Amino acid sequence: MTHLFGVLSTATSALLTQQRAINVTGNNIANVNTPGYSRQRLNLETGMPTQTGLGMMSYGVTSTDVERVYDRFLGVQLNNENANLGRWEAQKGMLDRVEVVFDESGGYGLNQALSDFWNSWQDLSLKPEGQTERAVVAATSQGLADAIRQKYGELEQVQKDIDIAVRDGVETVNRLAAQIADLNQKIARTEIGGTNANDYRDRRDLVLKQLSEMIDITSFEDATGQAVVSVGAGRPLVESGNTWQLSAQTNADGHTDIFWPDVDGGLVNLSGEIRGGRIGGWLQTRDAKIAGYQSDLDALAQGLMSEVNTLHAAGYGLDGTTNTDLFTGSGAVDMQINPAVLADLNLIAASAPPGAYGNADQAIAINALRTGLTMNGGTSTFDAAANALVSQVGYDVQAAKANASHQADMATYLENYRESVSGVSLDEEMVNLVKFEAAYNAAAKMVSMADEMLDSLMNMMR
Amino acid sequence: MRITQAMMSNIFVSNLRKQTEAMLQRQEQIATQKRINRPSDDPSGMGRVLAGRSTLATIGQYTDNIKQGKTRLEFTEQTLKLVDDLVQQARRTAQEKSGDGVTAEERALAAEAVKEIYDQVLQLANSKLNDRYLFSGDRTNTAAFTRDAGYNATYNGDAGSCRIPIADNVEVRVDADGRSYFQDAANGGVNIFDQLRDLIAGLENTDVSAGSAQIRATVDPLEEAHVQIMDKRAEAGPKLYRLQATEEHWTNVKNTVQAAIGREEDVDVAQAIIELKNLETAYQSTMAAASRIIQPSLVNVLK
Repeated sequence: MTHLFGVLSTATSALLTQQRAINVTGNNIANVNTPGYSRQRLNLETGMPTQTGLGMMSYGVTSTDVERVYDRFLGVQLNNENANLGRWEAQKGMLDRVEVVFDESGGYGLNQALSDFWNSWQDLSLKPEGQTERAVVAATSQGLADAIRQKYGELEQVQKDIDIAVRDGVETVNRLAAQIADLNQKIARTEIGGTNANDYRDRRDLVLKQLSEMIDITSFEDATGQAVVSVGAGRPLVESGNTWQLSAQTNADGHTDIFWPDVDGGLVNLSGEIRGGRIGGWLQTRDAKIAGYQSDLDALAQGLMSEVNTLHAAGYGLDGTTNTDLFTGSGAVDMQINPAVLADLNLIAASAPPGAYGNADQAIAINALRTGLTMNGGTSTFDAAANALVSQVGYDVQAAKANASHQADMATYLENYRESVSGVSLDEEMVNLVKFEAAYNAAAKMVSMADEMLDSLMNMMR
Repeated sequence: MRITQAMMSNIFVSNLRKQTEAMLQRQEQIATQKRINRPSDDPSGMGRVLAGRSTLATIGQYTDNIKQGKTRLEFTEQTLKLVDDLVQQARRTAQEKSGDGVTAEERALAAEAVKEIYDQVLQLANSKLNDRYLFSGDRTNTAAFTRDAGYNATYNGDAGSCRIPIADNVEVRVDADGRSYFQDAANGGVNIFDQLRDLIAGLENTDVSAGSAQIRATVDPLEEAHVQIMDKRAEAGPKLYRLQATEEHWTNVKNTVQAAIGREEDVDVAQAIIELKNLETAYQSTMAAASRIIQPSLVNVLK
């Protein structure tokens, strides 16, 4: 059955719906630059059809829901790549600082300190009783010990800075986990009423992305649409509205490890399980890379100290003293020149036989250590070991740079893919705006036409 | 594919970042004239550069050692030449004054002259170079020889020798044992001081004929002493030659190593500038393209 008021109500539904569509379009345009925003679409349906004399016919249009356009499988991949990106960027950031410690390109560093040290012994061998030559040996020995100790200390400083970064990172993880739990609740409450919690989901996706940048996570949605997030070896971090608070605590080495609370209130050390994200990158840099450089430095320091000290203690000083160590300390951490030698240069043992004033045999023997294959299980010289360490740092930084750049490309690619699905295109929105505006205008025309028709009808009565 | 404004700006930004990074690197290379500015620029190259620098430092030291060694050998040679002259002078005196016709006065005068020769040889035997006694072995702070009033010389040094490192585990040994130069009696050689002492005693002997015999007895040993010193001087020749040859070798190696380091770490400036120019062009065209593409959207067209 058709009637004039039917036309009015059809036009009304059209007016309201097109207006709503313009609203959604406006919202899309407003959020064109909002990170994590997925464009939304008003889904339209024809009005409820009714039986007319001519058959089923619907009156007007209705909007069923506002849907966000997104690729549900992209999120997981994006999170994985973000975890990798975070990891390599964190490694690169910290290794850049390590590289500065080993920067030998200017010509001052371990290499130079070692060369100076060996050369000073040769100088001494030409004039073993010379006070100047002795002073130079003392200075270069001190310089060498200082260089090794200082580099070790600087590496420790980077480790300490990583500890602080890890502590901050754990706080960030806990904060983001709490946000996810909160958004989980909001999404569940909203969607139980049958509407889509589009904006909450967008926000949760964004928080998950931020979280994956900090730490590698696995996440999925449960039946109620709530995200379940776990870290490490499948240890839950967020489940619906609940979070497990990670904590940062100092371990036996004095470094910060990350702990996860188990059911009994005990703490599980996660540090070995975390592979990705900034925290993963930091932990690897600290516990694998930097610790490796430190042990290399230690090996160099211990090798130097034991070889040089053995020869030095066997020799005799100008005043006939013997059994004096040139270096003291247990490793790279506390290597230094024997203070007694520094105070009395006559203690420098250049002579092999006792009481031989101008004998240089021991100085020559110590200088010969330069070419001795003493390091790496008797396969390389001290110089080669020191140079190899510098190259190793270079390789690691280069690898971290290449990986970070590759991951950044991956992330950009995926981000662009996400953009191409979910991003707002202003052109598209403008077209929609024109489309909906035209429809609105037409519906308005219909109302005025119905009005005219009613007017005509009313005038017929006069 | 659906393209959005954000994608375009993302790609634009990431490309600009890469281009500026690459430009910065070229700029740094041109400014420092070095291809390797940090270990990660070329880790294996850096390793070779460091190894080259170690070699250069060592070569520098060996060259210094060789210079000092040459000085020592030349100084020793000079000293021995003077000793030789003195010894020959003493021998001539012995030959001239051994005849019976020489008067006691003449002999007394000659004795004074030989005493001078004795002290001068002693002084030369106690030569110092770089504040070290040359002929007292390892006791470089002790005068090699001293004499008593009766012109008996005592050696105060030991058997040490001077070792000059000229290459890895290679050294030139220069004899510093004064006895081998001046008192080589142990090896069947001549004790120069004793011969001079005997010559003085012969010249001062009041018994002229006994004195003549004493004087004559010193002529042959003094001639042998000349040979002994000549032998020692001859020893220095090959050593000097060896030092010279090694020094030349090191000069060549140094040039080679320096060139190798240069090839490794120096930047090819022309290439770097061309690359910078190319990057600049790419950078500018990226900007130009972006300014054309990013700005317009339907908003500008729809009025």
